[in-house]
Amino acid sequence: MPVTYEYLIKRLFLLVLVVLGVLVITFILTRVIPARPELLWAGPHARLEDILRARKELHLDEPLYMQLYYYLRDFFTGNWGVSWRTRQPVLQDVLSALPATLELIVVGFALALVIGIPLGFYSALRLGSAKDDVVRSIAVIGASMPVFWAALVLQLVFGMWLKVLPAGKRIDTGLAIMTGFHPITGFYLLDSLLQGNIPVFIDVLKRIVLPAIAVSIYPLSLTVRMVRSLTIEVLNENFVRFLEANGIDKKTLIYRYVLRSVISPVIASLGLSFGYTIIGAFMVELVFVWPGIGYYAGMALLSFDYPAILGSIVFVAVFYSAINLVVDLIHAWIDPRVKL
Amino acid sequence: MRFISYRKIYMAGLAIVALFVIVGILAPYIVTKPEEAWGIAYNPDKAFKPPSFENPLGTDALGRDMLNRIILGTRFSLLIGVSVVFISLLIGVPVGLVAGYFGGRIGTALMRLADMFLAFPPLLLAIAFATILGRGVFNTIIALSLSWWPWYTRLVYIQTTSVKSLAYIDSAKILGLSPLTIMFKHILPNITAPLVTQATLDVGSAILEASALSFLGVGVPPPTPEWGLLISEGWQYISRAWWVSFFPGIAIMISVLGFNLLGDALKEYMDPRVRDLLVKGAR
Repeated sequence: MPVTYEYLIKRLFLLVLVVLGVLVITFILTRVIPARPELLWAGPHARLEDILRARKELHLDEPLYMQLYYYLRDFFTGNWGVSWRTRQPVLQDVLSALPATLELIVVGFALALVIGIPLGFYSALRLGSAKDDVVRSIAVIGASMPVFWAALVLQLVFGMWLKVLPAGKRIDTGLAIMTGFHPITGFYLLDSLLQGNIPVFIDVLKRIVLPAIAVSIYPLSLTVRMVRSLTIEVLNENFVRFLEANGIDKKTLIYRYVLRSVISPVIASLGLSFGYTIIGAFMVELVFVWPGIGYYAGMALLSFDYPAILGSIVFVAVFYSAINLVVDLIHAWIDPRVKL
Repeated sequence: MRFISYRKIYMAGLAIVALFVIVGILAPYIVTKPEEAWGIAYNPDKAFKPPSFENPLGTDALGRDMLNRIILGTRFSLLIGVSVVFISLLIGVPVGLVAGYFGGRIGTALMRLADMFLAFPPLLLAIAFATILGRGVFNTIIALSLSWWPWYTRLVYIQTTSVKSLAYIDSAKILGLSPLTIMFKHILPNITAPLVTQATLDVGSAILEASALSFLGVGVPPPTPEWGLLISEGWQYISRAWWVSFFPGIAIMISVLGFNLLGDALKEYMDPRVRDLLVKGAR
């Protein structure tokens, strides 16, 4: 079913509303609630002139609605303030950290889907059996672990004790310099392959395994649980019973009819599990010293770097809304029943 | 046959939750070294002792007994988990009821407000609130609740819109009952099943998210023995003393698992189709 032009416009309009909502909420949080926003903005070691400059930057002498106007204008013109930790413009910092995060999320999310969907389906087809119990137990335990703890344990066991995989960092800098590796897209897996640099590719691949597993645990459990319960639901639909009663081949029934009706709601919920993946990546990056947005935001939090904290939060929220839009469009494209 | 194994899982969840609640309430009376548990006393000479008979789960950087700290930590996780869900229900349910029952412009406006909050990925908004509010047990509860309530609003809204078109609501209206009475006395009781299930699961999620806030340094401040903070404190010494970070994580995992199992059991129990299948066994 084609995505109509009208639908696209409506969804884009909603996206703009949501982005405005995100901005208004963060504005209230950072400018209206704190008694002295300029103190937060200038950082804990600020001198008097830093605070005065922050006051001017935030337009605190003007009425609230003008402050909101400047806030929105600064957001859309890319003027997100300067991190006093890195002394760089926040937007530039965030954008340069983006590829590292995206690479980690894509690998982790792919792991979660590639393993989670078949596993959930498998479990539902054997509902109530011992195999089902095992899959369910793994899924429920995975959903009960704190992500950062799982990351720490993986790092400890495989990186420090068994020493089978590197315990941190995204790339071996020495190796990269020696072999003349240089980032093009910022996705190191892709870049090293494009340059035919196999040693760096293997190094980068080894380094992404542990953090990607840590990132994937929560969305994997979520996917298994959801696919399982959706499949159980579909198996009980009348059309399945009807086909079964008609003596249709069981394989055809499952792969052609059941799987098909399960996939659509699974896609609809990808946005949320992607949200969990992003947040999981935040903490995993911190543990594995992975130079992405999560690491940046985590360091900003630990050093009270407010412009950087705010910038990362707004960026991730807007990015997440955009992903949700894409997910909805894919869903509408695949499932003709979807209405706005 | 199958029903029994399902009952077992359910009982396991219930047992974990019961134990968690009891330990949480009685923690200050269970701990044998209260000063160490609260983090007031230091024994630098006993730092980083591995698990032994005297310290079953080892000691931390300041020589405090980890078992005592973890036991007392149960209380904070219980307090935070239950309070967050309770406050979120208190805000989220009435908003969802009003939006669903009245619909129209009020409904749209309220739901758009909820959507703005839901536009943030889970936990991110709580991080923002916690950063501004500063560290503290109370502030952590507020930060999580403020980002949590829209989930209940959405759930209640969807349920209310489907219930309000039923005939008994129409008759209640014709009888001249006030909207308030209809919402709270006639709609709410009919949508409690999914709400209770979600709330049970959410106590577990709230414990997880609170620990994440503490780990990121915007949650509960030291020397409180909150589990996430304990993991965070052991983090920098992980290669020297793995037990400091390891055991609090196990504590989190077991408690959250309890709430997840209980919530799952409630969900399946309240869904007659799944219950039938479980009784009959596999297809």
